[in-house]
Amino acid sequence: MLYFIYDGSFPGLLTAIYEAFYSDNFPEGIFREKNFTDNLFSITKKIETNQNKADKVYDAIRNKISNYTLRTIYYCYLSELDEIEIDLVYYLKLGFKEGAKINKYHSNNQVKKIISARKKVSREAHRMKGLLRFQTLKNGVYYGPMEPDYNIIEILARHFAKRLSDQDWIIHDLSRDIAAIYNQQQWALTPLKETEIEISNTEQEYQDLWKEFFDNIAIENRKNLKLQQQNMPKKYWKHLIEKND
Amino acid sequence: MDLKTKLSVLSDSAKYDASCSSSGSSRSNKKNGVGNAARNGICHSWSEDGRCISLLKILYTNKCIYDCAYCVNRASNDRQRASFTPEEVVKLTINFYRRNYIEGLFLSSAVEKNPNYTMEQLLTTAKKLREEHKFNGYIHLKAIPGADSSLIRQAGTYADRMSVNIELPSNKGLQKLAPGKKKEDILKPMNMIGSKIVEHKKNKKKYKNTPQFVPAGQSTQLIVGATPEPDYQILRLSESLYQKMNLKRVYYSAYVPVNQSSNLPAIPTPPLLREHRLYQADWLLRFYGFSANELLNEKNPELDLDFDPKLDWALRNLDIFPVEINKASYDLLLRIPGIGVRSAKKIISARQEKALKYRDLKKIGPALNRAKFFITCRGKYYGEFAFEPNSLREKLKHKLGKQDKYQQLSLF
Repeated sequence: MLYFIYDGSFPGLLTAIYEAFYSDNFPEGIFREKNFTDNLFSITKKIETNQNKADKVYDAIRNKISNYTLRTIYYCYLSELDEIEIDLVYYLKLGFKEGAKINKYHSNNQVKKIISARKKVSREAHRMKGLLRFQTLKNGVYYGPMEPDYNIIEILARHFAKRLSDQDWIIHDLSRDIAAIYNQQQWALTPLKETEIEISNTEQEYQDLWKEFFDNIAIENRKNLKLQQQNMPKKYWKHLIEKND
Repeated sequence: MDLKTKLSVLSDSAKYDASCSSSGSSRSNKKNGVGNAARNGICHSWSEDGRCISLLKILYTNKCIYDCAYCVNRASNDRQRASFTPEEVVKLTINFYRRNYIEGLFLSSAVEKNPNYTMEQLLTTAKKLREEHKFNGYIHLKAIPGADSSLIRQAGTYADRMSVNIELPSNKGLQKLAPGKKKEDILKPMNMIGSKIVEHKKNKKKYKNTPQFVPAGQSTQLIVGATPEPDYQILRLSESLYQKMNLKRVYYSAYVPVNQSSNLPAIPTPPLLREHRLYQADWLLRFYGFSANELLNEKNPELDLDFDPKLDWALRNLDIFPVEINKASYDLLLRIPGIGVRSAKKIISARQEKALKYRDLKKIGPALNRAKFFITCRGKYYGEFAFEPNSLREKLKHKLGKQDKYQQLSLF
């Protein structure tokens, strides 16, 4: 059984897809280096990330299928779901044959798998655009910790670079030990472990005001905790100012 | 009074307004500015009643000159009173926004002193946010009935959405429960905002740099269950608001018994299921091509509480069913119970690949527990019991009654 192993980067994945299309032996699976566990029967081929090949795949998807599909591939990459890589190859095979209309094939299993992975990522990213909470640190930086299921930090960084463009901020993914750091000009990703933070003197005042608002805005006679939890699952409460005490 | 107490009083007073939507505007951030609006809106939290919190929803003041029987802030209620200053509202909005607690501000108000004074305070606050603080997040402002139209017009240049609450769905109800308010005072600003929005759209086609005017449209709210109007009358009113006044949304708010009065009905809990059915019917008016007269009529003026309005309609119009899923037009698909806008669109596209089998339909994901009784798939009928117009209603009632326990929608 032949497995492709890539470095875990997006260009790395695109290179692996290139190799899957052009090499003589079609792989059984494609894995990230850090997720792969060897077994007795596996033959592995390490894929060296090659920007040239990655660009070719990128352009081919955009020109022969669609921008929507390109974004789908990127979101599926961010999903980090098991075996999503090889599913992408099957999906793209169909895509290069049929063109942009594959995304309309809602009853096709191959397509459905991929579109639903895309949805998982975009749904969580949308949710987190609302649920991320920043607090101000002593040095004036707004610090927003989170522990999302999927690797959505880049999507969030792009959103907040537009929205909160005149303040320094850090978005910290504590489950992946990475952070997006923004300096009012541009943002960049960097590895960052969980660290002690020092919140500013005025921070507590606003957190208290927010909790006060949160408690008062609910209508007693309509209390519905089940609905609240359905909309805002408990796994996100840890970092919500209004829910974490 | 400190800011925290004020916030507590004035958010508690604002909570009966159902609207908290932050969608419909794509205002973008500017250089050195803070914030932008997201076209689809973003929810930032959910309160204990399950409703979405998107905006900082507060009253500017709860000191009111009116004495409307249904309202918690009526002048004769013994209640803690407070007013913000524009600076305080700005401070809360900006600091909450920078921490990503909110999408923006929803500023409403009781009428303090007189309508013009109150409208001026709202206007000043919005102007400060936009001009001094370069705030480009979402702003929803109330238009105060009875205020000068020049004030309301100016407010519209700063707001993303404006609303005037009709509250009571008939003139009679208004006279009985809100004797200080006149129907004309409510309709005048609505009309004005509506026609300005239309005018702005025309100008925008001609001149690229036309300044924005209420880009997310205007909305209103109707209280359900405080006065005896039937659903038919309420839906007819909503229909004409959508058609004639160009409203974006009508909100329905189940009457919460906050006051005791001989003019008010004595109800133990708010009529939430009725509110839910009205929202469903409202959706049918706006997105499904239904008219109020198709759903209800003089003889049959209340929405069925057992069935959703579309299912009820289908059971009264069984002659057009069952519908073949592979042949039906988009408009017809939308009329099938259990098939919504999204499923209908997906069915139309998936048919381009192949004729759909029943198991394909399962993957597309409409609510087949209802839909299967009204469709055929490649000519075959999949309901558990035969399609018999005389008995279908009873059988479905029995079957769905078990699972269709009332669920509150999260539409706000």
